[in-house]
Amino acid sequence: MSVSLEHDIAALLPRLRRFARSLTFHREDADDVVQIAVERALARSEQWEAGTRLDSWMFRIVKNAWIDEVRSRVRRDQLFVPEEAGEHVGDDHAGAQQQRMAIEKAMSLLSEDHRMVIGLVLVDGLPYKEAAEVLEIPMGTLTSRLARAREALQELLSDRPRKKG
Amino acid sequence: MSLSDEILMAYADGELDPERAAAVEQAMLADPGVAQAVQRHRALRADVFAAFSGVLDEPVPPRLQPRPGAAAAVTDPHNVVRLDALRAARARPAAPRHAWQHWGGLAASLALGVLAGALGWRGMHADGDAAPFASRGGALVAQGALADALSRQLADVQGQPAGGVKLGVSFQAKDGSVCRSFLLGRTGGLACRYGEHWQVPVVAEGEKAQDGAYRQAGSEMPAAVLEAIDERIAGATFDAGAERAARDRGWQGRDAGR
Repeated sequence: MSVSLEHDIAALLPRLRRFARSLTFHREDADDVVQIAVERALARSEQWEAGTRLDSWMFRIVKNAWIDEVRSRVRRDQLFVPEEAGEHVGDDHAGAQQQRMAIEKAMSLLSEDHRMVIGLVLVDGLPYKEAAEVLEIPMGTLTSRLARAREALQELLSDRPRKKG
Repeated sequence: MSLSDEILMAYADGELDPERAAAVEQAMLADPGVAQAVQRHRALRADVFAAFSGVLDEPVPPRLQPRPGAAAAVTDPHNVVRLDALRAARARPAAPRHAWQHWGGLAASLALGVLAGALGWRGMHADGDAAPFASRGGALVAQGALADALSRQLADVQGQPAGGVKLGVSFQAKDGSVCRSFLLGRTGGLACRYGEHWQVPVVAEGEKAQDGAYRQAGSEMPAAVLEAIDERIAGATFDAGAERAARDRGWQGRDAGR
């Protein structure tokens, strides 16, 4: 059973890393969060109820790892580092990269709560119900927080023309 | 009837029940402002998603692995690779709502390898560019002859199928995108148009014609693909005229003003 849990967690790593990257753009910090979360999850594997969503459980552990351990190490003004933000650029052209960097920068300027809800719903694509469970808040709170977060993000982006990727 | 921005947002995110979704759709038809608001929510979602999707294709640092060895994907006895089922957890009750997120759980390159193995393309296409699929931003997208056929070919004017691709039905999906089913040899799949790309949420190998099993004329499409169509379709499939019109719009959804 624990072998299969490890296996399933391994399969979630790309998503966990992506969520962590929406919290902090430092790749190393983001990976630290994920590593701590994986260690915690394995240490408390008995707390996971088989049959429930492993992804929601893991996202919750990542969120808590970020809040407890890593966030304090990261100074807010260091959240966005353009050189590093450009690193995971693949084969796409300059316009898409520019847009990506604008979005990453805008994300870094959001409040923590807003960044998390955007990271779960827009970046990962979790349904509202699961996102509310990860954040341990009621659905109504989730919905209004998400609406405000989107508004804030849109505002931060609105001084730049939208560009299609 | 006035709809709050939260309702429009929930609609854009695919979170409304059919009844309330229908009410929003009516309001969108009646009021271009409402349609624009929905479109803004969708565009922001797509942009934010795209900004981070590249992370899925990065190699995962070994220090993060709970144990050595990567995840294996699941193929069922009929050799159907449910790309959306490749997502991590075994017991996942709810299906994700947007086809373009079905790939979220897995580096697409890993899935591509599994796919190539399961469907026997590995030997056929040692050259990556000749493969019908590529991974892009964490999603599987059509490329080469398949992408060309999806973009150009209409279902009713197929003489000799170009590049061996046969097109099936075209339709508008619930998320606003336009999707088309296709056959590539015995492999069937569904492709949905997002921006400049055909994303492929499901691919499956057709079953061999079995002893007594009847099949409808022309229905060589694997059951997994037919199911995927049923899950997504909004309204009816396009007739020839609607398909042509969709092609002329560059396969962008009706309400997608991007």
